[in-house]
Amino acid sequence: MSRRSKPFFVWRHLNKLRWVTLTLVFLMLILLPLLHVYQTYVAARAYDLLPLSEKQLYDTMELITAPFVSDPASELDAIKGNTWSGTFWGFKLSDPLAVVGQIAAAQSIYWPFFLTALIPIAFTVIFGRFFCGWICPATFLYELNTNLGAWLHWAGLKTGNMHFDRRMKYGVLAAGLALSMLTGSVMVAAVYPPAILGREIYYAIALGGFGSGMIFFLGTLLFDLLVARRGFCRYVCPGGALYSLIGRYRVVRIRRIVESCNDCAKCNAVCEFGLDPLRDNFGQECNNCTACIAICPTDALDFTIRLTDYPYQGPGHLGRQYRGQKKKQGSTSATPCGQKAEAL
Amino acid sequence: MERRDFLKALSACAAAAIAPEDAWSALNQPGLRYLRPPGALPEDDFLSACIHCGQCGEVCPNRCISYFGMENGLASVDTPYIIPRDKGCILCMKCGDVCPSGAIQKVERTAEAIVEGVSMGRARVDEQLCLSFQGKTCGVCYRACPLPDVAITVGMLEQPHVTDKCVGCGLCERSCIQLPQAIRVIPNYG
Repeated sequence: MSRRSKPFFVWRHLNKLRWVTLTLVFLMLILLPLLHVYQTYVAARAYDLLPLSEKQLYDTMELITAPFVSDPASELDAIKGNTWSGTFWGFKLSDPLAVVGQIAAAQSIYWPFFLTALIPIAFTVIFGRFFCGWICPATFLYELNTNLGAWLHWAGLKTGNMHFDRRMKYGVLAAGLALSMLTGSVMVAAVYPPAILGREIYYAIALGGFGSGMIFFLGTLLFDLLVARRGFCRYVCPGGALYSLIGRYRVVRIRRIVESCNDCAKCNAVCEFGLDPLRDNFGQECNNCTACIAICPTDALDFTIRLTDYPYQGPGHLGRQYRGQKKKQGSTSATPCGQKAEAL
Repeated sequence: MERRDFLKALSACAAAAIAPEDAWSALNQPGLRYLRPPGALPEDDFLSACIHCGQCGEVCPNRCISYFGMENGLASVDTPYIIPRDKGCILCMKCGDVCPSGAIQKVERTAEAIVEGVSMGRARVDEQLCLSFQGKTCGVCYRACPLPDVAITVGMLEQPHVTDKCVGCGLCERSCIQLPQAIRVIPNYG
């Protein structure tokens, strides 16, 4: 098997790591509210008064946390929040959209809060829209939703695959900020899936039920399933729009190694954001999720340090089109017009 | 006739659902007396600073902080509130520590700092309802107060007198044994 004799290609396996981080973030969003409920039981010293189900919750959480903390009521305060804004041992991190939304709503800058978004912004400048692919708890569900859509499609049901203008989300971002400015409240948080999910999971676990945001989120799932694949992230998400803008000149980006590419177009098929890796067209939307790298049969995609995408490098050298050109060129010794064939 | 009534009710519901923010609050304002968490900015500043992250509720050991749906208007969606009769604030000041956005300011957990920095509201005693003022010695609110003799003093028959140092945590209202409660916190929205 030629497949097995190939050298180890580390980038291929990043997609697995990505699924691990997505799963961990999502599990944390479920675990933190449970820990909070446990903390309140501890603080109230109420174990004997709890009904059986809550006792089970108490015991389970105690089992999980006992190796790490001696005083759960205070020590478990170390990690709080969600991906919208979180606290880690007193160190705060926030989504850049939260900061921008607050600036719009308050029409002034509260610097201590602004600083909490600096690290995410710095990472976005380097890695582009990585949040969308690697951390966002909504991505976890949206990608599973895409898989569900693929199964439904396989089963013969009709799923949506419409295409819209990708610039629509910048309009949504602008409209959300304008609305925040008008109402004097951070309204973008109401249409931003990771913020919604972080809150709603907490509501469901600690406050006894989902709020209205969950309806919106289920609507986006249906939109993705029935109208446009991964449509919300591609066309609507205001946070994705902001990340795209910040990460426009990201330093670390995926590139195609034209010598190894065989034009199979699997990368285009697998790309959740509908980008065009086959023609070197990643753009500011690419979230470095590495799904295309993982699926590439010839390992023709890897990372590079560059501020812009490579211009179109022509058809892959292992592909039929390129070999046809080469043959033709060899016989007629003429350059095919419009193609970069000087690399021969 | 029944169908007509039904349609009327339906259209009223639909109108209420799409009505603008003011109509929402007007519809629900009676009875909606809520507090913001301790250290919160004045209402308008609070609304524009709060990013709806939910950390204040997640850190509250008393679980007294809940979050608005649409019942207090569009601008208040997903913002934290406290209904003192359901559960008062124990002034642990953790929400101010955890709040990243400055909507809830950090206040140190000492009596002086709390009296200085927290103004959720002010308790008011209804002397017609209060047992102590009706000659039946009670004093429950005084004993529930986290700032006894500072925020609330008692006179004859444990009759409570709220001072201007009351921060409005609502523990007195929570503990009042009268129904309806004889002491209630009048919110201070700044």
